Amino acid sequence: MLEIDRLEKRYGDVVALDGCSFNVARGQLLGFLGPNGSGKTTTMRSVFSLVRPDSGAVRWNGAGIDSDTRLRFGYMPEQRGLYPRMKVNAQLIYFGRLHGMSRGKAAEATDQWLDRLGLSDRADSRLEQLSHGNQQRVQLAAALIHDPDLLILDEPFSGLDPIGVEDMMEVLTERTERGAAVVFSSHQLDLVEDLCEDVVIIAAGKVVLSGPIRELRARSSHRYLSIELATNRNDLHRAFPEYEVVESNDGRLRLRVDDDTPLEPLIHAAAELGKVRQFSYTPPNLSEVFREVVEQ
Amino acid sequence: MSVWQSIFLVAARDFRERVTSRAFQMSTAITILFVVAWIIVPAIFFDNEPAEWTVGIVGEEPVGFTTAVETASGYAAIVDTTSFPDRVAAEDAMESGDVQIVVDSAGKVLIDGDTDDQLQVSVVAALATLEVADRADELGIGVTEISEIFTGGYEIESVAPVSEEDSERNRIFAFFVTVVLFMSIVTYGSWILIGVIEEKTNRVVEVVLGTVRPHQLLAGKVLGIGLLGIAQVLAIGIIAMVLMPIQDAFEIPSAAGSVLAWAFVWYILGFAFYAVAYAAAGSLVSRQEEAQNAAFPLTMMLMAAYFIASFSITGENPVLRVASLLPIFAPMTMPLRIAGGDAAAWEIALSLTLMVMATYGLIRFAGRVYSGGLLQGVGRVKWREAFRASNV
Repeated sequence: MLEIDRLEKRYGDVVALDGCSFNVARGQLLGFLGPNGSGKTTTMRSVFSLVRPDSGAVRWNGAGIDSDTRLRFGYMPEQRGLYPRMKVNAQLIYFGRLHGMSRGKAAEATDQWLDRLGLSDRADSRLEQLSHGNQQRVQLAAALIHDPDLLILDEPFSGLDPIGVEDMMEVLTERTERGAAVVFSSHQLDLVEDLCEDVVIIAAGKVVLSGPIRELRARSSHRYLSIELATNRNDLHRAFPEYEVVESNDGRLRLRVDDDTPLEPLIHAAAELGKVRQFSYTPPNLSEVFREVVEQ
Repeated sequence: MSVWQSIFLVAARDFRERVTSRAFQMSTAITILFVVAWIIVPAIFFDNEPAEWTVGIVGEEPVGFTTAVETASGYAAIVDTTSFPDRVAAEDAMESGDVQIVVDSAGKVLIDGDTDDQLQVSVVAALATLEVADRADELGIGVTEISEIFTGGYEIESVAPVSEEDSERNRIFAFFVTVVLFMSIVTYGSWILIGVIEEKTNRVVEVVLGTVRPHQLLAGKVLGIGLLGIAQVLAIGIIAMVLMPIQDAFEIPSAAGSVLAWAFVWYILGFAFYAVAYAAAGSLVSRQEEAQNAAFPLTMMLMAAYFIASFSITGENPVLRVASLLPIFAPMTMPLRIAGGDAAAWEIALSLTLMVMATYGLIRFAGRVYSGGLLQGVGRVKWREAFRASNV
C-alpha cells in the first residue's frame, strides 16, 4: 500500500502541498483529481524523490521508500520524456534494465508490450519517427515494462485519440486486476467516472474529498433535476425562478436543488410546460461533485 | 541493483547510442581522413628520400669520386657511376636518361636540360675537392692540414648538455599530448554538456531518475562519453603511429615511454575533472542555446591552462610552477614540467593528491548541483539554488 502522509511543500511564497494525505492499496485504481496547480504533479513526483517535501512522508508497505523499493514502481510523467533518437525496442530494454531486469527478461517483456500495443513492426524505428499517439504508447510501455507493483501516471489520457483512450483504460484496469496499486491524474472526469471506483480530489495542496465515487455523489447536499420536453424551447428556466439553473437549451433543462427539496411540485411544474420526454432526479455526476468541492 | 550496475547501464547506453550514431561515425571518419592526409600528403609531395644520381664516366674515374659527390651534396643523394668507352656513348646514355651527367676525363662535364642543378654543383665541387687533395698531396700537405685551411683552424663545439636537448624534445612531446587533452576536453566535454541538456529538455530525466540516483546518472554519463572519447583518441593515435614511419617528420623522443605514461595519467585525471564540471554546468540550463553560456567559465579556465602551457614549452617559469600545482591547470601544465625534468617528486605527489581530492570533491558537489539543477523546472538555475534544491 502506498501512503501519502501529510506532505507539505513550499516554493518560496507558493504553497504547493499543504498536508496532502491519502492511501492507495494494491489492487486499487485511484483517480487523482484536482484543478491545475493544485499539487497533483508535486505529490506524484515526491513518490519518486523528484521533489523533496518540506515535511511529511511517503511510505510503501509501511516503510520509507529507498531506491531498491522504487525499482518496483512505474512512472509516466506529465511531460512525456524518452530518448527521441533511440530505437523503440532498445529504449524499452534500457528502462527494463534500469529497473533491475536481466537483458533477456527485458527483451522478452519488450516484445510482449510492443505486440500488445500493436507496435511490433515499429520496434526498430527511432522514437521520433513514431506518431504522437504511438510515442505515448511507448511511454506507457516504458512505465510498465518491469511489471510494477505501483504505477503512477500523470495525465495518461491527455493527447490520446478515442482508440488510445480505450487501450489505456484497458491496460490500467488489467494492471489493477493483477494486483498493482494504480494512481492516475486526469481532467477528463467522465472518463474517470467510467474507469474507476475511487477518487481523491485535492485543491490548494490539500485533499478536499476522497472515497468511492458512488458515495461521494450520494453524500452531496444537492440533487440534479433534468427535464427534456418534446418542444425546442429555450425559456424553460422561467418556470422555475426559485431554483439554480445549470442548463436551459433546446427544450432541455437541468436544475440544481437541495437534496431535501420536495419532488412533487417540480413534477407538476414540468408537466405544465408540455409533453415531457424525459425526467430524472439524480445525485451530481463526478464533474459536478468536483466543481462543488473545488469552487467552495 | 548495485550502484555500479546502474552506472554501467547508463554508461553503456551513452556509449552505444553515440557509437552507432551517424554523426559520430562521420566525425570519426573525417578526423581519421585528416590525420591520414596530414601524414601521407607531405610524404608524397615533400619527398625526404635521398635522390639517386647516376654519373656517366668517360675515361678514368677519379679515386674516391662517388664519396666526394655524396659529401658535396650534403648527403642528399646516393651516387652511382657508369663507365662509357667514349663520349658519344655517354651522350646517348644521357639522352635516354640512364645517366644525368657525364664526367669526361678529357676535361669536360657534360650536362643537358634535365640535369639537376644541385647535381651539377656537387659534381664540380667533388672534382675540385679531389683536385685540391691531389695537389696538396704533391706539395706534401696532409688531409688534416687541408681541413684546417678550409675551416680557418676553428672547430664547432656544442656546449649544450645532451640531456637538455632531450628535455626540450620531451617538453614538445608533452605539449603535443596537452593539445590532444585540450581538444578532447573541448570536444567530449561539449558532448557531455549537450547530452545532459538533451535529457533535461526531453524530460526523459524524470523517468530515469525514478530508477537511478543523480550522481549515478552523472557518473555513468561521464564514464560512457569519456570512454568513447578515449577510444576515439586511441584509434586515431594508433593510426597515426602506424603511418608515422612513412614520414620522418615526427621524432619520438628517447624518454617517450615515461612521458607518455605520465601524460596519460594526467589526461585521465584532467578529463574526469572537466567532464564532471561540464555535466554540472549542463544541468543548470534547460535549453541548448544556453549551453555555451553555462560552459563559459569552464572554457575560460581551460583556455588559461592551455596558454600557460603553450608559453612554457621553452622551459620552467614561476607561473607554470604555480599552475602545475592547482587542479584546474595541473592536467595541462604538470606533464610539461615532468617531461622537462623540472618537477620535484614532492611537487608531483602534491599536485596528484590535490587533483584526486579536487575531482572527488567536484563529483560530490556536481552530484548535488546536478540533481538540484535537473529537477528545477525551466530557465537557468544558479548553482547555489541547485545545490540547495538537491534531494541527495
